[in-house]
Amino acid sequence: MLNGLDRFFRYISFKQLIIFNVLILVLILTMTVGISKGSFDFSVLKYFTGQLTTLEEEVLVNIRFPRVILAAVVGAALSMSGACLQGLFRNPLADPGLIGVSAGAALGAAFSIVMSAEFFPDFLFTPYLLPLSAILGSAFVISILFIITRGFGFEGMTYMLLAGIAINALAGVGIGILTYISDDSELRGLTFWTMGSFGGVTWNLIVPAIVIILSTIIWTLKISRKLDLLQLGEPEAYRLGVDIKKLRFDIIMSSAIIVGISVSLTGMIGFVGLVVPHLVRLFGGVNHHYLLACSALTGAILMVNADLLSRILIQPAELPVGLITSAIGSPFFLWLIFRMRKK
Amino acid sequence: MSIEVNNISYSIKDLQILKDVSLTIKKNEVLSLLGPNGSGKSTLLKIISGDINPKSGSVLFDNINLDNINIIDRARIRSVMSQSQDIIYDFSVKEVIEMGWLEGKEFITEKFDNALKKVGMECEISHLFDKSFNQLSGGEKRKVHFARTLIQMYNKDFETKSRYIMLDEPTANLDISHELQLINILKKKTLEGFGIFIILHDLNLAYHFSDKVAFIKEGKICAFGNPDEVFKEKILTKIYGLDVSFDNSTKKISYY
Repeated sequence: MLNGLDRFFRYISFKQLIIFNVLILVLILTMTVGISKGSFDFSVLKYFTGQLTTLEEEVLVNIRFPRVILAAVVGAALSMSGACLQGLFRNPLADPGLIGVSAGAALGAAFSIVMSAEFFPDFLFTPYLLPLSAILGSAFVISILFIITRGFGFEGMTYMLLAGIAINALAGVGIGILTYISDDSELRGLTFWTMGSFGGVTWNLIVPAIVIILSTIIWTLKISRKLDLLQLGEPEAYRLGVDIKKLRFDIIMSSAIIVGISVSLTGMIGFVGLVVPHLVRLFGGVNHHYLLACSALTGAILMVNADLLSRILIQPAELPVGLITSAIGSPFFLWLIFRMRKK
Repeated sequence: MSIEVNNISYSIKDLQILKDVSLTIKKNEVLSLLGPNGSGKSTLLKIISGDINPKSGSVLFDNINLDNINIIDRARIRSVMSQSQDIIYDFSVKEVIEMGWLEGKEFITEKFDNALKKVGMECEISHLFDKSFNQLSGGEKRKVHFARTLIQMYNKDFETKSRYIMLDEPTANLDISHELQLINILKKKTLEGFGIFIILHDLNLAYHFSDKVAFIKEGKICAFGNPDEVFKEKILTKIYGLDVSFDNSTKKISYY
C-alpha cells in the first residue's frame, strides 16, 4: 500500500499534485454544502456540536448523509470506469454505456422492477433484488463479451466495441418488452429509475455498495502504469511486459462491478463517465496515475453538485439527476466531436 | 551469449510465411535482415521477440527457450522498436520515453533521471522532452520511440546475461544525417555488449554497418554471413530480380 502511494506520487507532476489536493478540498466543501442544502437547510457544524433538533438529525443522518455519500461514490465510480475504458480502448469516446455494461445492468434492474412483484411478492431480500439482478445483468454482458472476443488476441478491442453496440440494441429490446408488459405503477417505477435518482436510498442498501465500489476503485488505481503503457499500442505494451489479456480482464471486471452496482442503485446516469476524464485531461495531463485518481474526485464533485441541483431546482419536487448530467453532458459531447473534426 | 533461432516455420492458414529459418544473433554484433517486401522479415522479428509463436522450431535466448521466459523477464532482456504507432492522448515526450523504463522493486528517481539524461544526449532529443509528443514531426517521433527502446535496456537492477535490441526499419522517415546517427548509436551499443537485430532496406547501410547480414526471400533464408561473403552481385541480383552491381573499389552497391 505504502509502495503504491509512493509510486503514485512518483508518477504525477507537481502541477498534478496541486490539482489533486485542490480537488480533495473542493470535494469536502461540496459534500458539506450538499448535506446542508435541500428542501430545508441547516448547518452541518451543528450536528457535531449537538445543536440539531431530533427531526433535523433524523433528516441529516438517514436521508442527507447516505444520499450525498452515494452521489459522490457513484460519480467517482462512473468517471473512473469511463477513464479506464477510454484508456483500454484507446478511444476518447469510450464510456461504460458503450460496451453494453450499463445496458446489461439496466436490463437486469428493469427485469426485477417489472417481474419481482409477480415472482417474489413478499421476499425477504426484496430490497437487494434490484442491485443483484443489475450486477447479474452486467456480469452477463461481460461474459458474453468475453466469449465473443476471446479468440481475437491483440485485435479484440474493435470487436468488443462492435459487440457492445449489438448488446446495447439487444438490451434495448429487452427493456422495451418489459416496458410494454408492465402495469401502470411498474411503468412509473421503471421510467423514473431509468432517468436516475439518488432519492430514497437507505444505509443498509448503500453500505455494502459503497464498500465494494471504494475498494474496487482503490484496486483499479494500481493498474495506472499498465494503462499508460497500453497507449503505445497492445503489441508494444505486451513487449514491455504487460499481460494484455489480464489487464483487459481486470478493467472489464472492475468496470462491471462498479457500474453494475451504481446503475442498480441510481438508474442510468449518462455522460459522467465520458465527460469527466476529458475535463481532467484538459486541466493537467493525460497520464493515468493522475487521470484515474482525479477523475474519481472530479466525478464525485460533479455528481454531488448535480444531485444538489436536482433537489433544489424545482422545489419541493425533484428532477431526476440523470436529466441534469445529460443536459450538461450531451452538449459537451457534441463539442468534443466538433473539436475532433477541426483536428 | 546469443539468440539461437532454430528451424522456424510459420504459416497463416495455407500460406507459408517462414520456412525452416535458422539464425544466430550474437552479443556485440549487428545482424541485419534484408529482403524484398512480403518476404517475412517482420514476421520473423515478431517470432524472435515473442509476439507470436512459430508453428514449429524454437527460439533460444542464451540457451533458454523463449517459451519459458515470462513476459516481464523478456522485457528486461530485449527491447523492440516496431513501425511506430500513434498515441491518441497528449503525452509529453518525457512521459513517452518513461514508458520504456522498467520498474524494479522500487522506482529510484535518480537512476531514471540519469538514464533519461543519457538517452537524451545520445539521441540528441533533450530539447524535446517537455514538448507534446503529438506535435512532433514523423522523424522526431521515430527518434523518441528509439530513445524509449534504448532506455528500456538501461535499468541495471535486473540480472541478465545479455541484452538485445530489435528494430523493424527504424530509419524509415529519418533524413540521412539522423539515419547515420541512429546507426552509429546502435554500433556503439554493440561495444557495450548488446546484440542488435535490425531490419533494413538500404543495401549500402547494411553493408557498411552490419557484422552479419541475412537475406530472406519468400520465407527462406537465402544468404547468411559476413557482409563481404553475402554481398555478391550474383546473390543480390537473384534476390531482388534486378541488376545489382557491386563496386569493389568504393564498396558501393548500385542498382540504377
